[in-house]
Parts: sequence; structure tokens; C-alpha cells
Amino acid sequence: MFLFNYRYRLKCIFKDRQLMFWTFLFPILLATLFNLAFANITSSDNFIKVNVAVVQNEALDQNPAFTQAITGADDLFVVQNTTRAEADALLQDNQIDGIITFDPDLNMVVNQSGLNQTIIRGFLDDYVQSNATIVTVVTENPGSLENGILNGISSRSEYLTAVSASQSAPDPIVNYFYALIAMTCLYGGFLGVKEVVAIQADLSAVGARINLAPTNKLTVFISSMLAATSVQMLELMILLTFISGVLGISFGDQFGYIALTCLLGSLTGVTFGACLAAVIKKGEGIKIGILIASTMTMSFLAGMMSTDIKYLVMTKVPILGYLNPANLITDSFYALYYYNTHTQFFTDILLLCGFTLLFSTITYFVLRRQKYASL
Amino acid sequence: MLINVKNLVKRYGDLIALDHFNLEVQEGEILGLLGPNGSGKTTAINCILSLLKYDKGTIELYDQPMTPDAYDIKRNIGVVMQNVAIFDELTVYENIDYFCGLYISDKHTRKKLVAEAIAFVGLGDFKKFSPKKLSGGLLRRLNIACGIAHKPKLIILDEPTVAVDPQSRNNILEGIMELNRQGATIIYTTHYMEEVEQICSRIAIMDKGKIIAMGTNEELKQMIKSGEHINLELLNPEHLELSEITALPHIISAELTDHQLVVKSGRGKNTLIAILDYLKGRNITIGKIYSEPPTLNDVFLEITGKALRD
Repeated sequence: MFLFNYRYRLKCIFKDRQLMFWTFLFPILLATLFNLAFANITSSDNFIKVNVAVVQNEALDQNPAFTQAITGADDLFVVQNTTRAEADALLQDNQIDGIITFDPDLNMVVNQSGLNQTIIRGFLDDYVQSNATIVTVVTENPGSLENGILNGISSRSEYLTAVSASQSAPDPIVNYFYALIAMTCLYGGFLGVKEVVAIQADLSAVGARINLAPTNKLTVFISSMLAATSVQMLELMILLTFISGVLGISFGDQFGYIALTCLLGSLTGVTFGACLAAVIKKGEGIKIGILIASTMTMSFLAGMMSTDIKYLVMTKVPILGYLNPANLITDSFYALYYYNTHTQFFTDILLLCGFTLLFSTITYFVLRRQKYASL
Repeated sequence: MLINVKNLVKRYGDLIALDHFNLEVQEGEILGLLGPNGSGKTTAINCILSLLKYDKGTIELYDQPMTPDAYDIKRNIGVVMQNVAIFDELTVYENIDYFCGLYISDKHTRKKLVAEAIAFVGLGDFKKFSPKKLSGGLLRRLNIACGIAHKPKLIILDEPTVAVDPQSRNNILEGIMELNRQGATIIYTTHYMEEVEQICSRIAIMDKGKIIAMGTNEELKQMIKSGEHINLELLNPEHLELSEITALPHIISAELTDHQLVVKSGRGKNTLIAILDYLKGRNITIGKIYSEPPTLNDVFLEITGKALRD
């Protein structure tokens, strides 16, 4: 009976076009849209060099150290050595961000304020300060030159070392895709609703017919739920393959844990829908409406529409993050991708297990009823 | 005794759906449960099948209490629901196979039974069709096939002909009689009196949650005072005085609509000669005359004071 029902439930689910659209095609479409929308964000973050014109004159020739400093400044600047007239013309045409001139002091000419102008200002201040320090040392304590003090002045030492938590490069975009997968997991709720409606005599005529048969209702139900979870897992695996293989979003290389997250996410989603359908004594349309509203709210709070929301929840109301299955699924993927330890991952997984158990228990207590008050 | 229901009471809040309902069904009969909409027929069936909770009473099938997990009893029951109970995603064949599979686990036996059920309801040409592509009549036939494919000994049909065209209705009724000839006991609920008159060996008339009369078609008609209905077409009815007709011996009532006079006379009494004599005396010319026996509607009307389809 178990396998017989399982096979037929798989057929029913795969042939339900509306269901397959929402649980399978819709997430793939959404992932494609995300990819199109975020395609230029990473490249737009690349640093664009600052264009400056340095006026060629006698004073500049007497300060070769400046020319050496500006050309060697970590590729900050694109430098053009020009006459003052040419420099003015370039500035007028907005082809450069500023003019640097020695007359005889170091000066800067800009025609607007902005980030690039601030960078030029910062560089010049730093150069002037270092130059003044060297002049003071040479004037007041020339003996210290032999101790290599100039090296200390002209170089910058970092006393803090940045250590990456993982081998993966930080990428804020991936969180959108993780939240999308979490939403897809919870869309398994559609399958849960379908299975409960199909087995409850007070919700459907086929449910009444199944209740009249000499079969254990719980066996039929568990087999149906397993079919729903299998379909959901398959859909998730295809979505993951699409997101990583076609869209190039990384999930790290811990495939076993990724599969575990998908399995538990699917179970949480399917049992959530089943629980909702069992508890809410309204029509199927209302059940579906409530499911969509709750799933979208959870996905929103998990950062599907904006990662700032997820950050806000985790800093202001962290408990909400732990009570939100969508957030737990997102966090699991995030933890696998970024962290070298599994503490956060297993915390999320355990909480997902807890939710699955809770939803299943509630559903069981409603469904174990064998007679109905009304049909 | 196949079914024995005693003093069944079912309430929905203040509404009493079944009011000390009693029913006995013998093996091999076709029992018609006739009553207007809302009389409690479906509620009674759902209680008997242990789908619905009830407040009071006892239900026994095959001399055993009926419970939701009485699988041995359930194995012998086939139910054709009032609403078409099938999966839209499965084909005609798959639907019958699935519901038969809930009763029969052996694949080969099931294959044979499904083929027989398809042949029985005449859906051979539609085996691979999706239910969405079937007409209302064909859907009803599929609904019946899903309920009877496992060859049950007791078949309960709850208004299987609602919204079905006359041709499909006749096919369904003939099929039910055939199932009975093959040995199945049938309980047939409907509010169409013509159907129970046509197929049922015994009829229980329900109203307000209880059985108000029970017997064969003839026995029920014997229970009431009125006998035949005499219909007369009058060419010059203006000379007629209805009070004079009803004053004739053994006449229960008389009604004149346009040129049509309908006279109900007492059971077993011949009143035609007296009526004709009266009309002749009044110089009223008669066009057509025909007589009808009393119907189950007359039985219901006389017992409850209202028509079956009111």
C-alpha cells in the first residue's frame, strides 16, 4: 500500500501544472531575474582611478620625490604632466578630477567636490606631512638618519592582519539566492496542503473515499508526504544545479551538508503546509493564501528582498531570526559557504529539525481523528 | 441482517439531522432511501459508513459494530459518493486502479477487476482520457466505477444521477440492477421517486431526519387513502361545478386547470362511471380520458402535507 500510494501521489503531483509552476518554474524564473538584476553590481564596485594633471614647471623639477610618490601611489592616480593652460582645459572638460601644482608650495585645483577630489586632498596632506617630518628630522637630528628612520616615515605598517573566515570571497549577492532557495523550500507547503486536502474527508470528496477504504490512514498519509518531499527535493536539486551551474552562484563544496539542508528545508516546508491545512478550518483557497502570505513574510525577513532587513532582524530582534525557518535555511547555506566551522550550521539544522517535528506533531494530532463532526 | 441501525441521533448545533433514525437492510435487496433535499439521507449514509460522529444510537454491519477501523467490514463495502470523487491529475484507468488498489493489493487481480469495471460502465474508449475531458455523464460513470471496481457485496450509491442526462441516467440505473443481479446488496439514496420506483425492491421514505414510511412500492401506495387519478379533458368546462364533483361518493379531491380536470378517488374505488354520468347530465363534452395510479409523491404528500420536491 505504501509504495502503491507513493507512486500514484508522485503522478498526481507531477501532473498538477499549477503546483509545478509555483514550486519549480517560479523559483527558477526568480533566480534568473535576480541574476539579471545583480549582474552589474559586483563589477560596478571596481575601483576607478583618479585622473590628475600635474603642472610641469621648475618647482616640480626640484621635487622629484613628489613625482615618485604620486606615480607609485598604489595605482591610485592616472597622472598627466601638462602645462597649466592644458590642465585648466582638461579640468574644464571634466577629463580630470583635479590639478596639482607647485608654485612653489603644493596646491590643488578642483571644480567640484566629491570622492575623487577627497582622495587627491588626502594624498597631498599625507605627502606634505611626511615631507615636513623628514625636514624636521634632518634639521634637528641628522644622526638618526643612519638608524634608518626615513624608512619608518615613508612606509605604512599595518599592525592588524585580516584573516578570512573561509576560503570564499565575501559576496553580499549570494544571500539573495540563499533566501530564494529558502522560499522554495517553504513553497513545499503547497505540496503539504495538497496532501492533507487529498486525505481529509471533510476537505475533499477523494478524502472521504480514502477514509472509507480498509487502509490505515496514517500509512497512506506518510506515504503521500514522502512523495511530496521527494518531489520537493528533486525540484530543489534542479534549482541548485541551475543557480550554481548556469548562474554561477557558489555554494561552497560541502555537498553532503548542502543536501542535508535541502532535505530538512523541504521537510520543514512540506510539514508546514500540511500543518497549516490541517489546523485552518477554511477552504483550500484561504489555506493557500495564508501559506503564500506567511512564506513571503518569512522570506522577506530572511533577506530575499533586501539583505538590510536580515541584518536589522539579527541585530534588533535576533529571536525572530531563530523562529523563522526561511532565515534558518538561508543561514545554513551562508554558514556552509563562509565559515570554516559548523557550529552555526548545526544550530540552524537542529532548529529546522525542531520545526519539522513541531509541524508534524500538530498535523498528526489533527489527522489521527477518524470520524468527523461534519462533512 | 446486513445493516441494523437503531435510534440514530445526529445533531448539528440546534439542528437535528437524524432523529431516532432506524433502518434494517437485508442481504440481496435494493433499498431506496427517498426523501427531499435536507431530509438526512446523506447524513444517515455517512454515519453508517463511520465517517460522521453521531450523538446517539447503534450501527451494526454484518452483525458487528461499525467503526472507522473495521477493515473487514469496509472491505465488503463500495460507495459511490454524491460528489464526483476522483483525481483530476490521473487518467480514467489510473483513477479506477488507484481506488481499487485501496482494497485489492494483488496487481493481477486488480488489473482484471479494473478492466471489468471499465467494461461495466462503458468507459472502454476513454481509458486514457483525463477526467477533465469527460462529459458530466461519463464522469458519473467513472465515479461509479471507482466505487464498485473491487466487487463489494454492499454498494451504497448516494444520489449518483444528480445532473445526469436521461440517457446516462438509464445506463446507470440498468447498471445498478445488474450489480444486484450479480449478488450485491444496494442502498440507493435519491430524491427522484421515478428512480426508486424503477429499481428498488424496498423503499424507505425520509423526512426531517427520520423514516416516515417503509415498504415495497405497492405497500407504500396501499398506506394512503387516495387511489387512481382520473384525468379528463373537458371541451366546455364552464358548466362544471367542482363542489358537485367532490360531493360524489369516494371522490377525495378535484382540480380544474384550463380544460383539464383531475379527480382523485379513494383507494380501490371505481368512480369513473359516476363522474361520466355527472358530466353527461351537465352536457359537458369530454375530449380525452386517462387514469394514473398513485405515485410515491402522493404517499409523501399525504403523510407530510408537502410534495417531495417542495
